Amino acid sequence: MKILVPVKQAALVEDDFELRDDGRDVDPDFVDLQLNEWDDYSLEAALQLKEANDGIEVVAVTVGDDDTEDALRTCLAKGADRAIRIWDDVIADADPLVIARVLAAVAQREAPDLVLAGTQSSDLGFSATGVAMAAFMGWPHAAVVVALDYAPGAATAIVERELEGGLRERLEVDCPAVLTIQLGINTPRYASLRGIKQARSIPIEELSPDELGLEDQDIGEQARGSRVREMYLPDKGQAEMIEGTPAEQAARIAAIVKEVMGG
Amino acid sequence: MARDSRYDILFTPVQLGPKTIRNRFYQVPHCIGAGTDRPGYQMAHRSVKAEGGWGALNTEYASIHPESDDTMRISARIWDEGDVRNLRAMTDAVHAHDSLAGIELWYGGAHAPGMESRCTPRGPIQYASEFEALTYCKAMDLDDIKMVQQYYVDAALRARDAGFDIVYVYGSHSYLPLQFLSPYYNKRTDKYGGSIENRARFWVETLEKVRHAVGADCAVTARFAVDTLYGEDGVEVEQDGMRFIELADPFVDFWDVNIGDIAEWGEDAGPSRFYGIGHQNDWIRYIKQATKKPVLGVGRFYDPEKMVEVINSGIIDIIGAARPSIADPFLPKKIEEGRVDDIRTCIGCNVCISRWEMGGPPMICTQNATAGEEYRRGWHPEKFEPAGSDDTVLVVGAGPSGAECARVLMERGYTVHVVDSADKVGGHVNDVITLPGLAEWGYHRDYREAQLEKLVKRNKDCQLALGQKRLTADDVLQYGAERVVIATGSSWNTDGTNNLSHAPIPGADASQPHCLTPEQVFAGDKPIGKRVMILNHDTYFMAPSLAEKLARAGHEVTVASPVALGEYMHLTLEAPNMHRLIHELGIEVIGDHACSRIEPGRVELFNIWGDGYKRQYRGPGNLPRDENRTHQWHECDTVVLVTGRHSEDELYRELKARKDEWAANDVKDVYLIGDAEAPRMISDATFTGHRLAREIEDPNPQYPQPYKREVHAWGAAYIPGQSHELIWRL
Repeated sequence: MKILVPVKQAALVEDDFELRDDGRDVDPDFVDLQLNEWDDYSLEAALQLKEANDGIEVVAVTVGDDDTEDALRTCLAKGADRAIRIWDDVIADADPLVIARVLAAVAQREAPDLVLAGTQSSDLGFSATGVAMAAFMGWPHAAVVVALDYAPGAATAIVERELEGGLRERLEVDCPAVLTIQLGINTPRYASLRGIKQARSIPIEELSPDELGLEDQDIGEQARGSRVREMYLPDKGQAEMIEGTPAEQAARIAAIVKEVMGG
Repeated sequence: MARDSRYDILFTPVQLGPKTIRNRFYQVPHCIGAGTDRPGYQMAHRSVKAEGGWGALNTEYASIHPESDDTMRISARIWDEGDVRNLRAMTDAVHAHDSLAGIELWYGGAHAPGMESRCTPRGPIQYASEFEALTYCKAMDLDDIKMVQQYYVDAALRARDAGFDIVYVYGSHSYLPLQFLSPYYNKRTDKYGGSIENRARFWVETLEKVRHAVGADCAVTARFAVDTLYGEDGVEVEQDGMRFIELADPFVDFWDVNIGDIAEWGEDAGPSRFYGIGHQNDWIRYIKQATKKPVLGVGRFYDPEKMVEVINSGIIDIIGAARPSIADPFLPKKIEEGRVDDIRTCIGCNVCISRWEMGGPPMICTQNATAGEEYRRGWHPEKFEPAGSDDTVLVVGAGPSGAECARVLMERGYTVHVVDSADKVGGHVNDVITLPGLAEWGYHRDYREAQLEKLVKRNKDCQLALGQKRLTADDVLQYGAERVVIATGSSWNTDGTNNLSHAPIPGADASQPHCLTPEQVFAGDKPIGKRVMILNHDTYFMAPSLAEKLARAGHEVTVASPVALGEYMHLTLEAPNMHRLIHELGIEVIGDHACSRIEPGRVELFNIWGDGYKRQYRGPGNLPRDENRTHQWHECDTVVLVTGRHSEDELYRELKARKDEWAANDVKDVYLIGDAEAPRMISDATFTGHRLAREIEDPNPQYPQPYKREVHAWGAAYIPGQSHELIWRL
C-alpha cells in the first residue's frame, strides 16, 4: 500500500523584509525556506502508519523549483521512501487550484491508497490545496484532522476533526481519501544524522507537468482561480507612545479616551 | 544591519583632557589574574575588548611600589623596567584598535598584607585592616607622606613610558587616598586630618603631583567611591563626596566614580541576586552637580537602552563596565552592528570576581568561556577555527555544557544535532533561575538558545531536537554521527551521600514522602511540611537559596550544615547580604552539625567536632578518637537533601562498554562533558563544552590540550641587564 504526502517548502519571512519589485510577493532574498509546519504532522502520520504495518510505501511530493528540494530531503531523512518534485516555470505564482491539479495528476499516476496533506501552509494559509486535490480526483476528503484510525487496506478510515468551540467530529470516511492533517495530531520526529546522510543518496524523481499529461491550459495563468494583485503592509495602527511626566501621561490618556469614546 | 539610531550617543567621542575616547564604552579597571607577570594574558584579554569596540581598557589595580603588595591576590605592578616592558604589550595591542589604555595606580595601606615583599604598608593612621587578617599599617608622618606621594609620581612616569594614556590615582575600595579622606580611617589631627579639606589633602596633592609629572602625555583621573555606605562614619555623597570632587577637580581630566568599600565590595560589584542594572545611580547622579568634567560610572550596564538612559538623563557621560565587558568583549560592536540580540549578557553571578577573591587563578566567566583563555589557549570570543572535517556530531543534552559545545561546533561549521528530553535549552539552569534573585542567570540559557536557533537556520542539516525521549545506547549508535558528545548532566543524591562521610545518611531516601532532593522541591509534586530541615554539604548557593525560597513560602526553615553555609558566596560577594537575608527571614542555621540518621518527623544531628581532640592508637577496629556523643534529635516535617551530586553518566558508560560496536556504526569517538563528567559550577560546565568543541579534532580530545604557560623562563632576564645566575651577596 502507498501513502502520498504532498508537502510544501514554505516561506518564513525575516523580521525586516522587502517586497518583490512587482509588489506581488516578498523578495526571496528576505525569506527563509523550511518544510511547512503542517506537513511535519502529515508526514509523521504517514510514517507512523508505515512503522505500525508492513508493506507501506510513503511517497512525498512537492510542486516547486530547485529550492524546494530541501523539503523533500527532509521527508526522505525522516523516513519517506521516495520523493517526487514537479516543476515548470509556468507554475510560478500558481494558486492552490493549479497546485491541486498537478498533485491530482501525480496521485493518478501513483495510485495511492491514502493522501495525507497538511491542513494549510504556514506562509499563504489558503487551506485549499488538499481539499481541491480531492475534488479534482473525485475522492472523499476530511479537513482539519486531529485523530486518525486506519488499517491499511480497509474500506474506511475513522477520523476526528477539530471544530469551533473545542468540539470534535468523529467521521467515517470512505477510502481512498484525502485527509488534511492538523497540528498536534502527533509529535513529529526529527531526522537522525544517519537519515540525513542516507537521504542525500536517494534520487528525487523530477517530473514536468507534461510528463503527467498536463497541458499549459491546465496549469497556466488562465487555469488559476485567483491571482495575487498586490501584497502590502497595512498602514500602521494607531498605537502611540505617550511620553512625559506621569501627570502629562495621564492627561493624554484621558484626552484619547474622550476622543475615542466620545463625550 | 546598521545600528539603531537611538544608540548614536554611545558612539560619540569624549575629550578626556589631552586624550579622546572614541566612544562611550569604557572598561573600568578590573582584576583578571594576569597582572604584570602574565603579559600575554593581560595583552590579549584587554585588546580583544578593544577589537570588540571598547574605547578604553584599563589594567587591574597596579601596585606602585613593593610596599603595596597584595599577594596572594593578583594585582598588576609597575615597580620597575621589567613591569614597563611587560605592560607595554598591552598598551601596544590596545592602541592597534584606536582605544585608550589606562592604569590604576594603587597603594593599599593595611589592606595589602605584603606577603611577598615583606614590606610594611603605611597608612594615614595605624589601624588593623577590616578586610585582611592580622595586618596593621604604620602611621605616616610627614616624611612618609612625601615619600609615598613620590611613589605615585615615579609610577605614573613609568606608566607613561609603558604607553598608558590614562593614569589613575585610585582611592575607591578603601585604598590609601580614600583612607586619608574617610573619617572611618583618618583620625589625624595635623593638616592631613580633621576637616574635609585636610582629609582631602593627601589625595589632592598626589593628583597635582601626578598631573604635573605626566603633563599632557596622559589623562589623569581618580577612582573615587563617592559614598562608602557607612553614613557619617565614612564618606557620604552629598557631604564629603561632592566636596572632594570640587577640591580635586582642577587636577583630573575626568571622574571614575562608584560606591562602597573593600570589606563589602559587593555593594559596588553588585551580584544580580541583590542588585539590578544601574543600582548605583541614586548615589552617582549627584556627581555631575559638582564637576563639569566627564563622569563615568558603573552598574553592570549591559543593556544599550539603559546606557542611553543614564547618559541622556545626565547621571554619567561614559558607560563604565567590568563584568559586562568580560561576558561580552564585543558588546559595543554588537550594538554598533545592530546585533543587540547577539549580546552575551552578564548574568551578575560574580564568578569572575570569585577568582580574585580566592587569590590567584585566572578569571573565569559563566557566560564567556573564552575569558582568560584568549592568550593561553588562543580562544577568540567571536571567531572560530573552521571545522577540520565533515564529521557530524550528536550532542546528547542541551544544558550549559551541551548547548555551549553545540554552539561552538556549529560556529565552526560542523553539522550538529542536539537532543534533549527537556522542552527547553538550559538543563538544570531552568530550575536554578526559579530560585529567589537568580532570574538573571537565565541569560546564560537565553544566549545559547538564541544562538542555536540562529545556527540551525544557517546549516539546515543541524538540528535542535527538544522534548525528545531519552536516547538509549542503541539510539546513539544508530544515530549516524561520527562523534558523540554526552552532556547528560548530574542529579542531587537521593540517599544523602556527601563530601564528609562519602556514604549515604541512614534513613535518607528521596523516594519517601518526607525526604526531598532539590529537584523534587523544584518539581513541586511532593508536599512540603511546615517545619523544613535542610541538610547541607554543598558550599555554594543551593542550600541558602532553597532556605530563602521555602522561608518566603511560609515554612519554618532550619539548615544543618557541617560545611560553611554558602562559603563560595563570600568569593562571589553574595555572602554578606545572604546572611542578612537569612537573619531577616528567621532561618535557623545550625553550623558544624551533620546528620547521622533520618526518620519520619525527625533527624539526628551531631557536632562534627564532638569526637574529642585527643588522638591515640587503640588497635584495629577502634577509632583513634572518642565516640561522638553529641547526637540529638531535631523534629521536622520535611528533610531536604542538599548533600551532594552525582553525574548522570550511564549512557556514556554503556557506550564505552560497547566500544567494539562503534566502527560498525561509523562512530569514531564518544566524549563526556559538563556535570556528566563531574558535577561543577555552571561556568566550569560551560567551559568543558566549549573546550571540547574547540579541540574536538585534536589528539585525544576528551582531555585538554596543553596551553601556553607564562613562566619566568630560566636564563631569560626579566629586568634588562639582570642575570639569571645565582649570585650570593657576600
